[in-house]
Amino acid sequence: MSVITVENLRYQYPHAEKLALDGITFSVERGEFIGIIGENGAGKSTLSQALIGLVPQFYKGAYGGKVIVNGKEAGNTPVAQMCGNVGLVFQNPFNQLSGAKDTVYDEVAFGMQNLGVPREEMHKRAEEALKLLDIWQYRERNPFDLSGGQMQRVAIASVLVMRPDVIVLDEPTSQLDPEGSEEVFRAVEKLTKSGITILMIEQKIEKLAAYCSRILLLHQGKQIAFDTPQKIFSMENLEDYGVQAPAFTRICRAENVTLPDGTYPVTVEEAVGVMQAKHALDASSELSGSNGLDGSNSADDAVKRSMEMFRIEHLDFSYLENVPILKDLNLHLDGRPTAIIGQNGAGKTTLVKLLKGLLKPVSGNIYFRGEDMAGKTVAMLAGNVGYVFQNPDDQIFKYNVLDEVMFGPLNIGMDPERAKSEAKKALELTGLAGKEGENPYDLEMYERKMTAIASVLAMDTDVLILDEPTIAQDWRGRRIIGSIIRSLTERGKLVIAILHDMDFVAENFERVIVMAHGTVLADGRAEEVFEQEEALKKACLQKPYVMQLCSRLGYEKPYLTVEELLSDRGIEK
Amino acid sequence: MKSISLFVDNGTYLTKIHPFTKLMYIATAISIPLITGRLWMFGVLIAVSLCILASGKILRKTVPLIAFSFTILLTIFLIHGLFNQKNTNVLFRIGPLKFYQEGMLYALRIGLNILNMLLSFAVFVLSTKPSELVDELEKRGFSPRFGYIVTSVFQIIPQMMGTMNTIMDAQRSRGLETEGNLRTRAKAFLPLISPVVMSSLINTRERAIALEVRGFGANRKKTWLQDRPKHKGDREITILLGILILVAVIWRVMECL
Repeated sequence: MSVITVENLRYQYPHAEKLALDGITFSVERGEFIGIIGENGAGKSTLSQALIGLVPQFYKGAYGGKVIVNGKEAGNTPVAQMCGNVGLVFQNPFNQLSGAKDTVYDEVAFGMQNLGVPREEMHKRAEEALKLLDIWQYRERNPFDLSGGQMQRVAIASVLVMRPDVIVLDEPTSQLDPEGSEEVFRAVEKLTKSGITILMIEQKIEKLAAYCSRILLLHQGKQIAFDTPQKIFSMENLEDYGVQAPAFTRICRAENVTLPDGTYPVTVEEAVGVMQAKHALDASSELSGSNGLDGSNSADDAVKRSMEMFRIEHLDFSYLENVPILKDLNLHLDGRPTAIIGQNGAGKTTLVKLLKGLLKPVSGNIYFRGEDMAGKTVAMLAGNVGYVFQNPDDQIFKYNVLDEVMFGPLNIGMDPERAKSEAKKALELTGLAGKEGENPYDLEMYERKMTAIASVLAMDTDVLILDEPTIAQDWRGRRIIGSIIRSLTERGKLVIAILHDMDFVAENFERVIVMAHGTVLADGRAEEVFEQEEALKKACLQKPYVMQLCSRLGYEKPYLTVEELLSDRGIEK
Repeated sequence: MKSISLFVDNGTYLTKIHPFTKLMYIATAISIPLITGRLWMFGVLIAVSLCILASGKILRKTVPLIAFSFTILLTIFLIHGLFNQKNTNVLFRIGPLKFYQEGMLYALRIGLNILNMLLSFAVFVLSTKPSELVDELEKRGFSPRFGYIVTSVFQIIPQMMGTMNTIMDAQRSRGLETEGNLRTRAKAFLPLISPVVMSSLINTRERAIALEVRGFGANRKKTWLQDRPKHKGDREITILLGILILVAVIWRVMECL
């Protein structure tokens, strides 16, 4: 019997002009793991909230059709009753904590208390859930003191103890580092084994492909397809819906190798299987590309390398005495776009804040273009170094996008004419052209994020620092950010980014710095760095997906991106 | 996480006494001197509070509280000592300033009263966990919504202060001067305060949903993870304190007759 039945679900938010959900119909069997994909604004989060009845009960608006979970109709069963059937976990773990409990254990029990679960039962369930999600050891800690991955697992545990049959997760790993999101994925996989039905909204396509039994593809509120990952990712026009197929699928499509049923592989195992079979048949499959870390466009590279931007010498930094964050750091940053990768707490954000002058070194020096930064204030450096913060809501305050974007340029003394033209250019680059007059708070999260990026771009600084720019961005957004990085680099500017998305790093950055515990573990070209297994392991990082496939297939050259691999194999996409 | 609660969790007997017993102590300590109207009674109860604080090993924590009230006390003494309406007899002089006996006595009464209240509240605040108090109130039928507001404040305010710092950094990064003269600071006010307000509104909405999906709106009888470990003597102390107030009232009435 189906645990979830959705029949012709239609929904419109109050004051909205378009339907957020339009004719959604599907059913899910008990114990399935369903992925929900689609570009930003496709209606994924709205659907997740309709499953527990928040849409329409909390949001109001026009509602039609039926959502039945475990025999209960979500549209008119009070949310407080539904939550025993459906659990909801969302993006930001921080906002899911009740904020009223000061230990993890009490936090997990909060929901059960509200529902009047008997005491012995509460202790039993809390212990079970905490142990299942591997956070039993943190039970006495304050939940706000935990890392993102741990906090998100607390959020899942506190939903799990309500004993729902279905758990809906709305991009639960988008704010987490690779290790943290791996923790969450592992935990969720454990849940499916215990018979709970999982629906997960996620941008990490490769992960979904590996875990899901079926995938629901939405586009502008409409249901496009609901099928196995292989069928969905083999769709010809997938990119029209703002979704990019997993790297493995793209390679196999270009190589024209399919699974027996005519679909393309979606996981590394499947891809290795069919590719090896093909190579065995095709004796001439030796790679034409020589093993070369030759740095093909070396002239261009030399120019960038010769530009000295930052010189860091013997840098030490700590927030608290005796708890060093950065230890005797020495680094030269030149004109090459640079990605800084590593775990949360590795000192990445601290380092870029020092470069921006927001923090002052405890000892050691930072030189910007040969000048010591010690005597300069943040505002003085504002014209030279731009810094985009992770959360756009930390800076937005104007009533329309254009004013917001012009705020920075005007602050650093640009004349209004030029500020306006720079702002327009920045909006063009971030794909926000045409939204100048809108109130930033009416925009979606991914657009607000772009607004924040534009507002720093418009300051036309020599250095741009991006802190986790790809969070909450779909494939299109990531492409826009990639093009911003390229266009700035062409104009001789330095882009530094902190990232957790290894494939994005591989595709867009010429230099990669791996950090752990306040020191640099590896530094160099992406292909060199991702070859250093030892350093990656120490920093708890994974290789980009294409590299994983290559090493499984025994290729000598470490390809970083699908395009690189295919062009070397002489295949046009 | 930095806590804004003043609670000192040192495990002494004082932390184990029921919050209501301590509330009863506040009532007693404040009412007895007022009912009896004797100045020395203030002294007695201040001494009692100090003894309790010392035995609960939190006497040192009261120093900043007393220091804070000291400025207020000083002004009271200055104003009343110098300018009280009923001033007739000069008590002492400092240079040209004449301090009068009546005013000083009046100020002494107010000062002792403030000190007494402060110390008896300190006994309560420094030894009681806010969430414990709220739990006990809720068990006796207090609204969980109001209880939530009280406890969440202790967690969320420190978080908001953290957000404030990030916002300051984000705006400084866009060239906003936040330090300098009054005009610069006034100009920086809006860019700093709007994101704080807006992001807390956004967070609040999300948190409201989070509470909703965890059954906060279910109008069912709540259950608790554990009972408070019973502390011997809670009942007896409360009754004794009640009797003391009663004695004070009777004594006062007798005196008037």
